[in-house]
Amino acid sequence: MDLPLLSAVFAAFSITMYVLLDGFDLGVGALLLLQPHEAARNHMVDSIAPTWDGNETWLIMTGVTLLAGFPLAYSILMPAFYVPLIVMLLALGLRGASFEFRPQGQRNRPSWDAVFSVGSIVAACTQGLILGGLIQGVTIRGDAFGGSVFDWLRPFPILCAGSVLFGYIVLGGCWLYLKTTEASRHFAERTLWLALPAFLMLFVSACLTAAFTQPEVRAAWKTHTASLATIVGMMALAAIVLFASIGKRSELRPLVAAVSMVGLGIAGLALLIFPDIIPFRLSLWEASASRLSHVFLLSGAVFVTPLVLAYSAFAYWVFRGKTPVKGWEA
Amino acid sequence: MNLDAAMLARVQFAFTVSFHIIFPTTSIGLAMFLTVVEGLWLKTRNPVYLQIYRFWLGIFAMAFGVGVVTGIVLSFEFGLGFAHFAQIAGPVIGPMIALEVLTSFFLEAGFLGIMLYGLRRVGPRLHFFATCMVALGTLLSASWILSANSWMQTPDGVAMQNGRLVVTDWLKVIVNPSWLYRLPHMLTAAYLTASFLVAGVGAFYLLRRKHTLFARKSVSIGMAFAAILIAGQVFIGDILYSTMLKHQPSKMQAAEGFWERQSQSPAPYYWVIIPDQAHQRNRVAFGIPYLGSIWLTHSLHGRVEGLKSTPRDRQPAMGMVFYGFRIMYGIAILMFAVAVASLWLRWHGGLFTTRWFLRSLVIMAPSGIVATLGGWYLAETGRQPWVIFGLLRTVDAVSPVPSGTLLSTLIAFIFVYAFLMTAFLIFVFRMIRRGPEAAPDHAEASASLKNALRLLESPTANAVLGR
Ligand code: HDD
Ligand code: HEM
Ligand code: HEM
Repeated sequence: MDLPLLSAVFAAFSITMYVLLDGFDLGVGALLLLQPHEAARNHMVDSIAPTWDGNETWLIMTGVTLLAGFPLAYSILMPAFYVPLIVMLLALGLRGASFEFRPQGQRNRPSWDAVFSVGSIVAACTQGLILGGLIQGVTIRGDAFGGSVFDWLRPFPILCAGSVLFGYIVLGGCWLYLKTTEASRHFAERTLWLALPAFLMLFVSACLTAAFTQPEVRAAWKTHTASLATIVGMMALAAIVLFASIGKRSELRPLVAAVSMVGLGIAGLALLIFPDIIPFRLSLWEASASRLSHVFLLSGAVFVTPLVLAYSAFAYWVFRGKTPVKGWEA
Repeated sequence: MNLDAAMLARVQFAFTVSFHIIFPTTSIGLAMFLTVVEGLWLKTRNPVYLQIYRFWLGIFAMAFGVGVVTGIVLSFEFGLGFAHFAQIAGPVIGPMIALEVLTSFFLEAGFLGIMLYGLRRVGPRLHFFATCMVALGTLLSASWILSANSWMQTPDGVAMQNGRLVVTDWLKVIVNPSWLYRLPHMLTAAYLTASFLVAGVGAFYLLRRKHTLFARKSVSIGMAFAAILIAGQVFIGDILYSTMLKHQPSKMQAAEGFWERQSQSPAPYYWVIIPDQAHQRNRVAFGIPYLGSIWLTHSLHGRVEGLKSTPRDRQPAMGMVFYGFRIMYGIAILMFAVAVASLWLRWHGGLFTTRWFLRSLVIMAPSGIVATLGGWYLAETGRQPWVIFGLLRTVDAVSPVPSGTLLSTLIAFIFVYAFLMTAFLIFVFRMIRRGPEAAPDHAEASASLKNALRLLESPTANAVLGR
């Protein structure tokens, strides 16, 4: 059996879970800055508070799967993205701490909400920068990172930062549309009307820029024309469904459409870079750890992941339905 | 001190991990304490237990939150600062940490939401189950990460094949020679930490004659656990000492503060030294005569091995190791004394009224955290100059990141963490000042339990909850 491939599939699964789940948490966080009413902000945070920690754990899972299964890739990528990673970790730290600190007092809550929101925005942007830096190409010398720590500071990664941020805001808007009532739902609706076109514009320009600046992307298009075109077509369809369902009765449909749209985007990306673990530079087999490491990692993944998914789903189920306006315990 | 990349990476790792461990120690201990207290409440229905639960849940939630966000930093830090270490050791410690994420982080995260916000939704029994799962998660987390760290201290079950480590036997990697002793030592440290925190807050209220019922229960439970745990800890620590003496003699040589291959006879037990590593001697050394021989060799005139027994290029820096040990050991002695006093006072009925005792409990409240940090400094600086003992040197493990960048991120960490610590301490002190009766406004964590209390008092609610 091709164990490295299975480990890579598990890593891809984790990062997808992370983007979809923490995506809407970060999107909700980013939107706090635009919501002037404190009661509405409380409602927004309440809608994500019971489950955010599990969502973020998928990020750790991804990082650690790389460390365990593809140590060479991990040891090249961490220094390559040293600065955006540290900024992301600090931003996530401030966001996470705000969850616990904002209920501690009435007086400072607006400041904690600002910290919460800026943390979310910065985390989203740095993730986009890392994505852009990966597609743009990482310099490798021997078996170590050989570039400069500021290689990611170029127009293309910055464009990606914008797309990721607005993608998360779209997810967050759809989440609020599902979980909140009245004023907050209206707010979500208005957000979606603006954020979705912004996301689509940024995303399309990022794709075009990638095609022009990275020859490998063009090459991948040539080999996978049919499947990539299908994916793009389905993404467009999902975007149309999403547009059409804003303000309509079904409260779940926008979220399903948005999740499909982002999920398809990730699938397209995976197709572009497969079978590389560092896009266009290092294949997953070249970076792989020895066999027994994969065996251990995968047996954990195979036997424990179903359990994890089960009780994560249970946690979502406990807090199903609309978030009570006065908080979970009112 | 020379600020090269290796030094800065070490300082950054040391700073971030030291900051992190403060919070896990607290939350591992408090999670277990909360489980016990909620269990007692379910069993006896005595509302004071619910009050204790409610009060500590608020503090636990904050400690847990800071623990989570500082922990995430660490799981990336292996590659950020020590890329070469990650490349070589990733296949060994990576899968263990992956299992930690799968078996414990998800478990903690999944049930934490229910523990903090879900009492109304799931009812007391399932809520108790959630508390148990969170406590179990912290325990499993400690087990895996200690296994990973113990493997770095006493590596086993691997082979070096063209410059890379390959696992040959997972059982030997996980159950490596020091894990079985270090894990109980760390867990006991965390439970001791929580016991002294709880007892310290109770004593603070007793001294001010406030919240008496709450305070008496806190002091009583806290000191009961502390007395049992410290006895166990001294015993486990003693076994751990001989284990490390066998596997890492250089660490224990540094920890006792002697330089000559054989110390003078009779050997004193040093408490203060100013070591001079360059000349391999102590500039200043104060100690208690004879005690070194008695404690370390169990005889009146035995000699103790000094650091010169280890070649210079394999010696750790004596100062950090020595003081890490002295801080931990000194606090162990103090804890033991307080525990003995508590038993005596309990016997004579003065546990809640003896003011000098209560004052010492207040002072001892943070002692567990300080001892834990001391223990970790002993373990980690004593492992130097190796990052994986005997296999990989720390200087060979660092990332190709320029020192200027490392310095800037270190400063960023210091600022952000100082901010988090300040906020955490302000909120904890505010909670303590307000006392257990005042649920902090809008703290869902506490509000949930207040509602439960109301629920349990009304017979209709019992019917609703199906009891
Ligand atoms: C003895 C216990 C212990 C030790 C030595 C460490 N940790 Fe820790 N860690 C925990 C005990 C713990 C915990 C009890 O499980 C935490 C603390 C609070 C919490 O929320 O979970 C945690 C949280 C935590 C998290 C966030 C988990 C989540 O999202 O729930 C990560 C990623 C790490 N840790 C990683 C590390 C790394 C890479 C360490 C080593 C350098 C480390 N921890 C040392
Ligand atoms: C949580 C409690 C811990 C504390 C307080 C602690 C403390 C320290 C300190 C002070 C150093 C710097 C040593 C020096 O350079 O002189 C260090 C280094 C390091 N520790 Fe720990 N440590 C802890 C846990 C862990 C764990 C659980 C692991 C791994 C699983 C770990 C892995 C490392 C690594 C990789 C380094 C860097 C290389 C080195 O300097 O040796 N530490 N730690
Ligand atoms: C007589 C008392 C004690 C003895 C003889 C003792 C002994 C030791 C030794 C030899 C180590 C080094 C292990 C290594 O190198 O890996 C250690 C580490 C440590 N000690 Fe203690 N200890 C005692 C009391 C305490 C107390 C009271 C606490 C905290 C409340 C504590 C917390 C720790 C911690 C957290 C570590 C680092 C983790 C580890 O290495 O297991 N110890 N102790």
